[in-house]
Amino acid sequence: MRSALWLSLLLPALCASAVVCAASDKVFDRTVAAQPRGVVDISNVSGKIDVKGWDRPEVSVHAELDDDVERVDVASEGSHTTIKVVLPSHSHGGEARLHVQIPKDSELNVSAVSADVTASGVLGAQHLSAVSGEVTAELMGGDAEAKTVSGDIKLKGHGQAVRLRVSTVSGDVHVDHGAGDFEASTVSGALVVSLDSARAVRAHSTSGDLRFEGKLTRGATFEASSVSGDLNVRASTEGGYEYEASSFSGDISDCFDVKSERTGKYMPGSRLQGTRGEGAGHVRLKTMSGDIQLCDRS
Amino acid sequence: MTGREGPDGRTLVRSLGELPQSIEPPRDLWPTIEARLGGIEAPAPAATVAQSIGRRRSARLRWLAAAAMIASVALGVWIGRSLLPLPGAVPGARSPASAANDTSAVTGAPTALDAAYVADPRYERQRAELLRSLQTRLAALPPASRAKVMASLETIQRAKEDLERALGRDPGNALLQELLVNTYQDEMRVLTDVREASDTGKGI
Repeated sequence: MRSALWLSLLLPALCASAVVCAASDKVFDRTVAAQPRGVVDISNVSGKIDVKGWDRPEVSVHAELDDDVERVDVASEGSHTTIKVVLPSHSHGGEARLHVQIPKDSELNVSAVSADVTASGVLGAQHLSAVSGEVTAELMGGDAEAKTVSGDIKLKGHGQAVRLRVSTVSGDVHVDHGAGDFEASTVSGALVVSLDSARAVRAHSTSGDLRFEGKLTRGATFEASSVSGDLNVRASTEGGYEYEASSFSGDISDCFDVKSERTGKYMPGSRLQGTRGEGAGHVRLKTMSGDIQLCDRS
Repeated sequence: MTGREGPDGRTLVRSLGELPQSIEPPRDLWPTIEARLGGIEAPAPAATVAQSIGRRRSARLRWLAAAAMIASVALGVWIGRSLLPLPGAVPGARSPASAANDTSAVTGAPTALDAAYVADPRYERQRAELLRSLQTRLAALPPASRAKVMASLETIQRAKEDLERALGRDPGNALLQELLVNTYQDEMRVLTDVREASDTGKGI
């Protein structure tokens, strides 16, 4: 009974302190005119950057800022709009949560350190980079480049062909419903990629595994390599493809009932090669010690 | 000669038996032949020619054998100096704690294979420059990222060592050579990314 009484007193106090804490965040709002096909640069060290494309020729910024954040600079000059979170010198800790709306055809450049980045509804080219923050973006038809050091990258497309480049050091990469040209590299992150129609795919990893599933256009090229990561590729195409998979010490398997052959009598190494269908495309998979699995069915 | 004459007055021959056994030349040809041969050394007998060819062949073989020996000694010295551990050196004998403070644990000292595969001086200069500032750059990253980058650089270093070891066993393997070059490129990419990432916090 006594504990219930204490709880009833404590709860309102906790709620009140939360409100006070929330109220201590500074709020920043600003809208500037922008060209419909201009360039928008956004930078923020810590917190969040959320960008959405809209139909208005304006850039709107709403930000919640920690006390440690000095200010947010928004400048628009010609076709260029810049949004920058400024921290006091010798401070790296202040968080800013930015919600930005930009003309949907803009080119978007985002740079963050530990801030998470999300972008949706942007039709122009996107260049998104973070150090440890996570990058999540919607692919709407413009080319995209996403780059992190340790943050994960998640990209979701709608099947429109774009040029897509992703790179991480240790972050994982997830791509869904991408199409067009795809290039990826990672050291230890996993590459999980699903493309609706790929013209050219190039992927390289040191120790991270690659898992690819999708369709290749007629005559497409697919190249993937790793040092110790596994390569699991399920790629189908109408015109078929010539394939060659080589591994120095890993296993190679396929769903074609073709056995890999040893490359030398006395040294390790095996190779699997052949042609599926008309052999219009090319698939090349190479690894030192990773395992390779190749199939043309999903 | 009992043949009859043709329309042009020349004698027609009906069988081989009608031909003469020998025909003397209209003049003595030997003096001209002898005069021409006077300036040329007399040809050696067939046996002497064969011996001379044999001598030349064996001399060539001796040279080839000597060149092969020199090449194999050079290869042995190269393998010994570059691939085998130095006497007294214990591979991988580095504590995790010291590895965390010492970036050489993740970047590794250049080996003879480095020199063999990556001899471009511009690459060497850029790599050395990036390695010099690596510690400072890593310190500028968020702690979680720093740890992940260190782990990734260690992964690259291990990959390089694994590939170099495999190449030591199979030096002509094109697959391994290609993957090693890719791994060097990965290392440069990570070092460049770390530099850019540490600059990001200072203002983009």
